[in-house]
Amino acid sequence: MGDKPSVILKNNLWNNNPIFIQILGICSTLAVTNNLINTIIMTVGLIFVTGFTNLTVSILKNMIPDRVRMIIQTLIIAFYVIIVDIILRAYLPAISRSLGPYVGLIITNCIIMGRAEGFARSNPPLISLWDGVTSGIGYMWVLITIAFVRELLGSGTLLGIKVLPESFTFWTIMVMPPSAFFLLGVFIWICKSIILKKESVKSPSVQLSNNSKGTQSPGEAK
Amino acid sequence: MKKNSLVYTVVFSFITAFFFVFLLSMADRMTSEKTAENERKTFYTSVLKSFGVRIEEDEDVTLLFNQYFPDYLEGDNLLKTSAEGGDISIKLFRGSGLWGTITGVIAFSGDLKRIEGLQIISHNETPGLGGRIDEEWFKNQFKGERIGPSGITVRKGSGSPDSDSENSEVDGITGASLTSKSIETIINDNIDMIKKEVE
Repeated sequence: MGDKPSVILKNNLWNNNPIFIQILGICSTLAVTNNLINTIIMTVGLIFVTGFTNLTVSILKNMIPDRVRMIIQTLIIAFYVIIVDIILRAYLPAISRSLGPYVGLIITNCIIMGRAEGFARSNPPLISLWDGVTSGIGYMWVLITIAFVRELLGSGTLLGIKVLPESFTFWTIMVMPPSAFFLLGVFIWICKSIILKKESVKSPSVQLSNNSKGTQSPGEAK
Repeated sequence: MKKNSLVYTVVFSFITAFFFVFLLSMADRMTSEKTAENERKTFYTSVLKSFGVRIEEDEDVTLLFNQYFPDYLEGDNLLKTSAEGGDISIKLFRGSGLWGTITGVIAFSGDLKRIEGLQIISHNETPGLGGRIDEEWFKNQFKGERIGPSGITVRKGSGSPDSDSENSEVDGITGASLTSKSIETIINDNIDMIKKEVE
């Protein structure tokens, strides 16, 4: 591939965003976003894990036997997730308590495996680290946007601070997972409309290359 | 040696697994003392909060705990002390929730007629649903709640907390009936247990 860092950044944040283009990591999007603080800490954990998993997979890529490739990648992912868990438990116990099972669930996030398979396996270490971090950020900004709406309407707070008056009727559905489903749908709708609008302005050849990019990376089917 | 040969695959997998697990156990060993300390503090805080002790931000929980419970031994599951409002008995509990074990403490008034408070120490309930048993509004409902002939009833969640402390009822969590039911069972079992222990 050999893309420049700025291109990778743009792709991971917008053109090939893990959530609204690749539709990866949806489970955690539905579960974690009813509270901004939890969302921020979990996504920071995810950025750390994708970044370092990509780095490690890329360093080891020439040594990993094909047959056990996936298992080794999972091992590396699990390693970093448990490290995050250990650090949180020892140094940030309050947050570790409120996150509970979320941290362990980072292991199951398809974005990490997707980036390790789709990028780190065929690229040098540093650019892989960059790709992992930016993918994580692409995931983060979408989740934070959804969490912002959900926490505001569901509990009337932002980052745990009360912002809406008592007289406001809280939307109980915003606290529950289905609301994230609707919000995510609306979010994808808005983003896709913007993308389509931009593409219709550009020449058809650009549109073609963009489409092929969208279907390129493996592991997308999850 | 060929990269895809059987021997290489086995040796490589073994070495990688060993290496990463070794690093993990090192990290775990290095932080185990700190983690244990944190867990102890969480426990002390829960016990103190269960009967309404205010803990200031920079207060030493261990010191405060020892003031109330000078003869506490690790592993005791019934603690007794006296606070402003009279005698207090605190029972540690563990019971099964929907996904895993729920542990916590319940504080009872000395005559076992009322619950003074409830604190959850650990749980594995669904975040955002059953996990809300650890939220203040839910736990506050138990403060001063009268224990009825059949214990405490956790009602079907109506979305607003129950403020009547005489009706032996608290409001459950909307969308988490099974966790609410588990809490009810755990609390009533523990009420029975503490009554037997005192007799």
